Amino acid sequence: MTGQALAPASRPKEGWEAFLFLAPGLFFLLVFVYLPLLANLALSFMDWNLIRSEARFVGLENYRILFQDPAFVQTVRQSLAYMGLALVGNFLFPLGLALLTLQVKGRWPEMYQSLLFAPTVAAVSVASLVWLYLYLPAAGPLAQVLRAVGLEAPPLLADPQTALPAVALVANWKFLGFHYLIALAGLKAIPREVMEAARVDGAEGLPLLRRVLLPLLGPLLLFLLLSALASSLEYAFVPVEVMTQGGPFGHTSHLMYAVYQEAFRFFRAGVAAAEAVLLTLGLGVLILGQLWLLEKRVPHG
Amino acid sequence: MGKRVLAHGLLGLSALIMLLPFLYQLGLSVTLAERIFSSPLPLTLPLTLENYQVVLKKLPMARYVANTLAFALGVTLGQLLLALLAAYAFAFRTFFLKEVLFALFVGSNLVPFVVTYLPNYLLLARLGLLDTFPGLILPMLTAGYATFLLRQHFLAFPREVLEAAHVDGASSWQVLFRVLAPANLPALVALGITLFISAWNQFVWPGLVANRPEMHVLTVAVARFAGGEGSNAWGPMMAASVLATLPAFLLYLAFRRWVLETLMEGGVRG
Repeated sequence: MTGQALAPASRPKEGWEAFLFLAPGLFFLLVFVYLPLLANLALSFMDWNLIRSEARFVGLENYRILFQDPAFVQTVRQSLAYMGLALVGNFLFPLGLALLTLQVKGRWPEMYQSLLFAPTVAAVSVASLVWLYLYLPAAGPLAQVLRAVGLEAPPLLADPQTALPAVALVANWKFLGFHYLIALAGLKAIPREVMEAARVDGAEGLPLLRRVLLPLLGPLLLFLLLSALASSLEYAFVPVEVMTQGGPFGHTSHLMYAVYQEAFRFFRAGVAAAEAVLLTLGLGVLILGQLWLLEKRVPHG
Repeated sequence: MGKRVLAHGLLGLSALIMLLPFLYQLGLSVTLAERIFSSPLPLTLPLTLENYQVVLKKLPMARYVANTLAFALGVTLGQLLLALLAAYAFAFRTFFLKEVLFALFVGSNLVPFVVTYLPNYLLLARLGLLDTFPGLILPMLTAGYATFLLRQHFLAFPREVLEAAHVDGASSWQVLFRVLAPANLPALVALGITLFISAWNQFVWPGLVANRPEMHVLTVAVARFAGGEGSNAWGPMMAASVLATLPAFLLYLAFRRWVLETLMEGGVRG
């Protein structure tokens, strides 16, 4: 290996120089990520409509408002629904497709990668417009096909029962290729002999799976699961904004979209900030919990 | 053998389903207005270019392309520069609070964008930067991911070469821009293209900050057209959406192997 120390770290000039190199990037992170994060926390204890010059300190009032609001509870429930659907669309499907890709040889793997990744390159706002057409009640292609085989075609985006899955499908379609790619890269990093051994059937199958494959695959699977869950609401943001704006009657909204609506549509800055704090905590617990699990399971060295 | 045929079948079918929306997008964009609903297939003959003519006549597409280009290039080049500098420090220097600062860089990706958009919007409004390119670009210069990725590449670089350069009297600045950057050019280009495509496709932030029509980027312009004048005019709407998507797609097609490799690398190690 080439891992020799470059130069004695004791030269005092170097520490200063390092900070000079870091300073520009750090400046932007502090100004546009971390200070806003703190400002948002402060704002969550204020009552402010963005127009008045004065914000009033109200303590935990915004949080109380949220917890007593049935719409907020509904938003949380729907966020979990989006996560559940992402588990299928951005975890199980990509993983299955990645496993299948390992079976094909020659130029084919690269071909499938390029094709399956294509939706990830499209702007999600533009792609959502195409899906609006596909979903059109009565005249849209999906409705026409369903009618042709004798099925009723519901107005997918107007029906509270079907609107959320229909929007989630767009989000999952758009980002499936990305998760497929990560899954494939992870699977390829596992030694070939182990993958060969995985094909062994019969009596040795189960212990092999538990003792050999799971310790090796476990961290990867957890990582893929984590990225699918943690990104699901962000993925569904633009499809919601373009296709339903949270409707019908809030049935496609989720925590991330609700923050945006409270802030930029209803100008309830304090409530939006409180909701954003809860969202950050929720996602943070999810991410840190999974990272902790990952850390524990990975055999170091 | 049978297994492999099954794999091809399932992968091929999945790829087809994944590409179906694009077929409709392209097909509708060349379909006559009165034929849009005449069949559930993506393409209905005869083909026409009138939808594109309508879009080019009604929308100042050149202006939107220029706006999007300025925004995407600003974000891409800005992030690359910031990330090069920071990655150099993280890869080759030891200094006070290094771990904490690195966590700040990488952790910035975990902060949901809706949390920062309102404070950032208010800050820009106060600075008078709404509807300006600095207002569009500066808040997007959070280079956590780019820094992380470049640091990985720098760490894999043979240190003897760097030491030799230092012995020859080269400053850190020269080592970074004369040795490290050229040697990692493929990674820089691939990262740059990934950042460019992602910026080109941005919708929410440009929609908030650049609200004056002459400042619109393509994604926002297409969405406003679809929500207003072009609503239910599916042909022109799809023509506009094809024009908006095409540049990013052509870049992807030209550099797809590099882009895919970069993402696979970042994904696994991240």
